[in-house]
Amino acid sequence: MSTLARYSPKTLVESVIAIALLALLAAGPAVFNDYWVNTVLTQTFIFGIAAASLIFLFAYGGMISLAQTALMGISAYAIGNMVTRGGAGGETKGLTLGWDPTLALVLAIVITTAIGLVFGAVASRSFGIYFLMLTLTYGVIANYFFGQVTQFGGFSPIAGINQYTPGFVGDIINHPDKLYYIALGTAIVVYMLMRYIATTPFGLSLQGLRDDHVRMGSLGYNVPLHRTLAFGFAAFVASLSGVLLVWWDGQIAPGNIGLNATIELLVICVIGGLARVEGAFLGAFAFIVINNYVRDVELPVVGGSFNTIIGLVFLVIVIVSPDGLMGLWDRLWRTFDRRSGGSSDAVGEAPPAEAMPQ
Amino acid sequence: MKKVRGWKLLLPIAALVALGAVFVPGSFASPSQASEVRLAIMTDCKGAFAFGYELDIGGAQAALARHAGGKVKNRKKPSAGMTGARAGGANINIVGYGCGDDTAPTAIKETRRLMDQLRADVMVGPLSGDEAVAVANYAKTKPTKTFIIGTAGSQDPTLQIAPKNMFRYHGDGAQWNAGLGEILYKRSGWRTAAIIMDDYSFGWTSGAGLIADFCAIGGKITKRVFPPLNTTDYAPFVRQLPRPGSVDGYIWVVGGTGTAASLKAFEQAYGAIDPSDHAGNLFFAFLGADKVVAPKVVGSYVGGFGTAPGLKTKQALAYEGAVKRHYPDLPAADGFVYNYYNAAWALVQGLTKSKGRVGAALQRALPRTLKSGYEVSDGGRVRLDSRRQAIQDQYPLQVVRRGNTITTAVVGYVPNVDQSFGGLFKPSSPAPGRAQPKCLKKKLPWQGKIRVVRNGVITKAVIR
Amino acid sequence: MSSDVGTFAQPVAERIRAWGVVGTVPRAAAAALVAFSIIYVLFVSNPPPEIGFGDWRTTTYGSALDDPGSFTQILLDALTFAGLLFIVASGFSLIFGLMRVVNMAHGSFYLLAGYIAYEVQQSMTGEGFGIPGSEVNTWEWVFPVLVSMVVVAAVGLIVQQLFLRWNQGQDLRQALLTIAISVIVADQVIAHFPRNGPSGVGGGNAVSLTWPGWTERRLDLQIWGVEYSLARLVMLALGVLVGVVLYLWLYRTKTGMVIRAGVDDRQMTSALGINIQKTFAIAFIVGAALAALGAGVGSSQGTVASGQDTQWLLNSLVVVIIGGMGSLLGAAAGSLLYALVLTFSAAYLPITSDNCCSQYSIVLTFILMALVLAFRPQGLFGRAG
Repeated sequence: MSTLARYSPKTLVESVIAIALLALLAAGPAVFNDYWVNTVLTQTFIFGIAAASLIFLFAYGGMISLAQTALMGISAYAIGNMVTRGGAGGETKGLTLGWDPTLALVLAIVITTAIGLVFGAVASRSFGIYFLMLTLTYGVIANYFFGQVTQFGGFSPIAGINQYTPGFVGDIINHPDKLYYIALGTAIVVYMLMRYIATTPFGLSLQGLRDDHVRMGSLGYNVPLHRTLAFGFAAFVASLSGVLLVWWDGQIAPGNIGLNATIELLVICVIGGLARVEGAFLGAFAFIVINNYVRDVELPVVGGSFNTIIGLVFLVIVIVSPDGLMGLWDRLWRTFDRRSGGSSDAVGEAPPAEAMPQ
Repeated sequence: MKKVRGWKLLLPIAALVALGAVFVPGSFASPSQASEVRLAIMTDCKGAFAFGYELDIGGAQAALARHAGGKVKNRKKPSAGMTGARAGGANINIVGYGCGDDTAPTAIKETRRLMDQLRADVMVGPLSGDEAVAVANYAKTKPTKTFIIGTAGSQDPTLQIAPKNMFRYHGDGAQWNAGLGEILYKRSGWRTAAIIMDDYSFGWTSGAGLIADFCAIGGKITKRVFPPLNTTDYAPFVRQLPRPGSVDGYIWVVGGTGTAASLKAFEQAYGAIDPSDHAGNLFFAFLGADKVVAPKVVGSYVGGFGTAPGLKTKQALAYEGAVKRHYPDLPAADGFVYNYYNAAWALVQGLTKSKGRVGAALQRALPRTLKSGYEVSDGGRVRLDSRRQAIQDQYPLQVVRRGNTITTAVVGYVPNVDQSFGGLFKPSSPAPGRAQPKCLKKKLPWQGKIRVVRNGVITKAVIR
Repeated sequence: MSSDVGTFAQPVAERIRAWGVVGTVPRAAAAALVAFSIIYVLFVSNPPPEIGFGDWRTTTYGSALDDPGSFTQILLDALTFAGLLFIVASGFSLIFGLMRVVNMAHGSFYLLAGYIAYEVQQSMTGEGFGIPGSEVNTWEWVFPVLVSMVVVAAVGLIVQQLFLRWNQGQDLRQALLTIAISVIVADQVIAHFPRNGPSGVGGGNAVSLTWPGWTERRLDLQIWGVEYSLARLVMLALGVLVGVVLYLWLYRTKTGMVIRAGVDDRQMTSALGINIQKTFAIAFIVGAALAALGAGVGSSQGTVASGQDTQWLLNSLVVVIIGGMGSLLGAAAGSLLYALVLTFSAAYLPITSDNCCSQYSIVLTFILMALVLAFRPQGLFGRAG
């Protein structure tokens, strides 16, 4: 009883929901059909992890990075170039080095994290909208680089990458459930890691400079270094989602990291809610479900395709809840809480995303 | 903290419940019905080829209407759907239309939706080159599903990748241009030419056909320029071309939005265009861009699209009549319509032979020859090679003025064009690229056999 | 004289001290790269040999000294393209500068405007598709563009009043609202345009506005035998005209003063009793109308088609990122620099074989952009955030 009393009712409810959800997901293939397991949910984890890297930077570091899609793509391209083999019946795009997939996996993560650290170091002195624009530029460079430099791929996809997986992963083409569990596990680890980092001295000072970087700087904190490291960590997380993406999709093309893909990841984050890491997965889920199921519906009078309806759905979500679906949950809880006379539970949460930090 | 009123929360909750109601029923496995073939038609509805959406669907459904007894729901709007198509005792149920944007990632996303979520057994599509590369790789992992390419022009899906469950009843981008190089060499007297082409797989493949054909007869390509896709200003790229006078001609393989823009840039750089110095691939004559571009290039020779607009054979007229009967507005001689038509027709024949069974049975039963509209060789049949790629007659065109309208006329008949160009392209050779193929003099199977076509009639004369 | 040099040199020395080694080395490297590129184009490069291809010094035209005529033409290509970029991007920049709204629907406005202008021109000339320029007079170009400007300005006003008025200051939320709007507008445009297209061809097909006939010729510039397209010079002139009008409006009228005050300090301007809402509405109308004017020019020069919305959104973003957000001068500088680098790198990248290397120009352009941003995060003329 005394242990329970330390937690607010909201935390308790959230924990119960989380445990129930995890149990459901762990039993995934037994409950859901193949399409849901292999496409909707696996994809939710993949893009959720990428979105989590974006939300981590915003919620704890006050940075909106539009480079996460590109970093995801860099790690995917690294694997694609390293593992595929050329020759008859083989792949025709990229370097086709044919290296050991485990080595390629490690290298891809290391390379992406290193590039992330360089990107982060260059951007570490920019704030607010300028940070957003600079990271958008990284994204556009990566897109054009892989599109034009045909040695690394070119406009067409490097494909067939999912044939070459490390031994401990095994055959994911014929056993996609494996990939489902790997993605689920990675998502959980990433989530826990982010929650943990937020409580470390590094995480605390990161949140400090999110709130007031000038003061933190004058207190002697190395602001650019903190932001660079945070960006490097986010790049590491993005590289994981990139690895999962090529394993799942089997291919990587510049379209995966174009402006539309970059905007889509941001939309995922905003639908989910930028203030909490959980929002990443909720947003990815909602986005994928909307995109898959809002079809074959036509608006009377105005016409147009399902894209109009998808646009309208997003419009409504952004209008109704500035903090996305997670924010909606928080607000629901507050309404309930006030009615029942309980205390508010806003301690330790990031500020709402209503205004971008300048 | 802002005060939150209860009613404001009702709307999103209602929306979420509605959303839940939509997806939950679909999320649990349901048994598939017997004697039903689930068909997906994959095309584009976004990006540069968005206009192909109704053309592709219309082409495929016209075939189902003519050969499988389907009823068209709306003669003006193919995407309104179709009912009642049957073949081999099975109902052909169109489960969905794919909406690509000519990029590989979207193509895969849509393919998964159609094949995994909507559980299609057969796909007719996709529309464009890189999409087909992506789908071919996907097809490799789903051997029980069958893929019949819609109208994609890249070479790799049936040459380098060549999954056993993928079929293509039309030529690739290189095949479509077969014969044009020889015509430019003989009719226009070109000996040297420069080529400007889109920097992606369709541009390269289409350009490869022109380069291979022109070089094979003895021409020289002196310069290749590659404007990136989505180039806004073509002026600096056009200036990379050799000046007028230093080459005999220019070959344009710039598509979609770039065709008119790059030609305008050329005019602005060097003055009015002399059509006899210019040739283009299908973007000069098809895909709607014809009317923007064509007035500037009356007299230019143009590569084909596997079709022969205005060809007066019984078979061609019957095909065009059938399309017009079901969809009066569809341009039957457009490759978008024709290639999707043949794909769907082949499916109907396959299903008839397999008695409505799909998977390996259908793949075995899909016809290895198809008596398609504009085919003349082999008794009017298109043949598939061992990698299930069409060996198809091709028809180089010329932009002509007829009274007040500008249109295209077939000038040549190139019999039995295969994908390998007499061994130049092999499964082990790299796919066409910026430097591939090299300019080589070579004997092509159709060299010296291109027949003159006059007023839609194939004559005995050979082009000299 | 020497004191001038002293005051000029002193801050540089101070700056270098302030930057430290870590800050100075990359800056020096970037400066050296820029200097090398300029020297390469002006002096170092060589024309290609008679037979075969060249080395790293070989370019299509050689250096500016080898072929001043071609150099002039390429320079004009860049300047005229910059004119078009400026027209579109200045509207984007204006909206951002005043309202802090990153209007992600700017590209969709461009798309809508291009098709509207095309439809109006078609019905005016009655020619059907593909009108020869000689049959279009000035009014038949100006009127369609004006119509599209009015319609798109009205759409812009509706968007601003419905979706951006009540959530001022929530930058990210506003950007996302405009993303949703851009999805809807682009889809509706593809669904309904072109109406006068060739029969049987679906929506979103490429169509082209036609320049008035008198622009279809080439002017002799009387220097190095250079002839240059009048249409492209008109494009530059329109860009300059837009710049001058915007300058006069922003710096010489009361509305303009209010707008500039709003850019500097929104709260203070409102506190002074100025109706900032009206000013915001005006800014959005002008911004949308400029997208429409840009679409008129852009689709006369090239085509308007499905997919160009993203391209023009990107173009606008690039210009504004390089030049600095919300600054008229910045939009001009950004357009110039973007056009110069894109055009010159396409024309002056070395030719090492028959299939190299102009295709890499776009990569080079964005590397330049990253360089600018790394050292000036706020862009060339942006105010530090």
